[in-house]
Amino acid sequence: MKVYERLSQAFKAEGTTNVFGMMGDGNMYWQYANEKNGIKMHEVRHEGVGLGMADGWARATRNPGVCTATCGPGTTQLATAFVTAARASSPLVAFCGEYPVSDDEYTQALDQSAFAHGVEAAFVRMGTAEDADEAVRKAFYIARTQSRPVLLSVPMDLQQKEWDDDEPYKPSTSIIPKRVVTPNQSAIEQAADMLSKAKKPVIVVGRGAMWSGAGDEVRALAARTGALIATTLQAKNWLVDDEYHIGISGTYATKTAIGLLSDSDVVVAVGASLNRYTTHEGLLYPEAQFIHIDPKAHVMLSRGKGADHYVQSDGKAGVAALNAELTKRNFKQMGRRTGEVKEKLANAWEDRADFKIEEGTLDPRPLCLALDDLVPTDINLFVGSGHTSGFTNILFRKSRPIVMPGHFFGCIGQMMPAAVGAVIGSGMKPAILMDGDASTMMHIGDFDTMVRYNVPLLIYCMNNQCLGAEYYKLEAHNMKVDTSCIPTADLGAVARAFGGRGALCRTEEEVKKATKEWLAKPGPMIIDVRVSRSVVTLPYRRVHYGEDV
Amino acid sequence: MIEVNERIEVPSTPQTVWAILSDPNAVVECVEGAELGDKQEDGSFDAKMTVKFGPAKVSFAANVMVNYEEANKAGSVTARGRDRISGTKFTTEMQFKVEGDDAVAQSAIPIKAECELTGRLAHLIESGANLVIKRMTASFAQKLAERCGGTKA
Repeated sequence: MKVYERLSQAFKAEGTTNVFGMMGDGNMYWQYANEKNGIKMHEVRHEGVGLGMADGWARATRNPGVCTATCGPGTTQLATAFVTAARASSPLVAFCGEYPVSDDEYTQALDQSAFAHGVEAAFVRMGTAEDADEAVRKAFYIARTQSRPVLLSVPMDLQQKEWDDDEPYKPSTSIIPKRVVTPNQSAIEQAADMLSKAKKPVIVVGRGAMWSGAGDEVRALAARTGALIATTLQAKNWLVDDEYHIGISGTYATKTAIGLLSDSDVVVAVGASLNRYTTHEGLLYPEAQFIHIDPKAHVMLSRGKGADHYVQSDGKAGVAALNAELTKRNFKQMGRRTGEVKEKLANAWEDRADFKIEEGTLDPRPLCLALDDLVPTDINLFVGSGHTSGFTNILFRKSRPIVMPGHFFGCIGQMMPAAVGAVIGSGMKPAILMDGDASTMMHIGDFDTMVRYNVPLLIYCMNNQCLGAEYYKLEAHNMKVDTSCIPTADLGAVARAFGGRGALCRTEEEVKKATKEWLAKPGPMIIDVRVSRSVVTLPYRRVHYGEDV
Repeated sequence: MIEVNERIEVPSTPQTVWAILSDPNAVVECVEGAELGDKQEDGSFDAKMTVKFGPAKVSFAANVMVNYEEANKAGSVTARGRDRISGTKFTTEMQFKVEGDDAVAQSAIPIKAECELTGRLAHLIESGANLVIKRMTASFAQKLAERCGGTKA
């Protein structure tokens, strides 16, 4: 057996079923072995897209995603996707070929360790052929235990060495203990002391709470303490059926939610990092005390602060213990779950500002509301970043099995790859992606990948023919906006040229018609929706125009 | 750096306007969200100022020094402050003057100011802050006019 064959066996033993990437001479033998081992390869048109897909797979399945690139120029293509995955805390392993150890002057030579450091990835190098098992195990161990991307660098010539060890591969899961971090009782009692004195509590749940399955416990705690429920952006729409759910805490909060959040006296954060965006630099909670429940040893809050009380615990276990303690104390209050608050939420502030809509374009706001209504709730939702996310992150309100916003690393173009990976990871469950024109164009070449693998993803390209974020910033500074205006072709026609489906829509009726066609038979599709530049999102109007909206 | 270069028109005589502008308490009452605190030994004042940047409120604890040139009906204001929650700091240097004929109920107050916001929030809200300050200036003019007995700036 060759080392590349053993490496493939090791990946399979780690649970790898799908690999995303592009073939080159640094990884082609390993890919060949993968095929023989029944690992499905998804060949992409850009290596970074492959890593983005592995990232989406990891976010959707909570298992390490796997991607691959060849040495040097193949690996450097991974840069933006690596940083995005690192900021998303996505466990993934990138199998990267490396230049031969016997040839320092190899054309594609690159210091891949330095590269990994620069893109915030962990780095594992197979230094000798004999270390193949250890290198793979270590890469997956880091990905799983630190929840981060790992660049596994494997010199090309070492892959060709003989492997004569017939011991079965021991996967990383065999050495990682399975244990739930349970809370200290005294810490729970202190949290209960604080909560029982609170008059206006709010529970902010993040991905950690969602992943731990804390939903029912969170609902019970909210009901017992009279707390409102808010989510981070990443847990968007989770528990939205609770009648005192107020949406996102942070940049994408509604004005009604901001009013309620600002008035809170105790915030219980569960599996939520409470970063600068979730707390709006702390300004969302000027008078509140914080109880923070998270399995990590400690989590620093925005502006380098710590919570008033930190409980190290798995989200579900921590909230369950808090419920048990409050039950023991017979504590129950109405708190903020009153008719008055319910009325406020029922009549929550809506953005009805009047903008002059250019002919042949749509107002994105009613469009988002119409699509959230039209697309059934078993269809998953992905949201790109950029200006248009300011509409979609606020206006899509329905609970869906997967609701995945972007925004990690603040880059555009990364959500289409992540959405494809997540769709494949979820067993090809149909999904829609709301994104902008610059994002869609960035990796349009990989619509071809969607077509080749018949990925049931409908991309709504909210096309305002400009770099939205920059357009509005230039406008706010009274600068010429033209430099940010870059027209695109008819992307519906482009999609059809790739062999998928596509439509160019300028009216809501056209969008609905195209959507219904896709719903009847989900597959790869782009709907190029021409939207107005006049309509500015709420977050931008607040930040760039100082509007109280 | 946010620059303010405004000219406020008030339908009152320069003497009336100056009487208000030369009283720090009266001036502060014309500034929305501002509250004057204790006078310090160096003649400066402690102050609190709450500014709405969008729906979020930033509350600055500030120190304000006002210098007057009675003869020219002119003055300057130096202020600096910090918001304890977001860590945002501001410094402001402002010059103003009351112009007009004492026989006519019409004054002009040219105001020149430079305001610098620093801290992580600052780069996010800079363009918005510019507009917020313009709106605050307009509100100040309105309130000053009302206080002077007029109705419109």
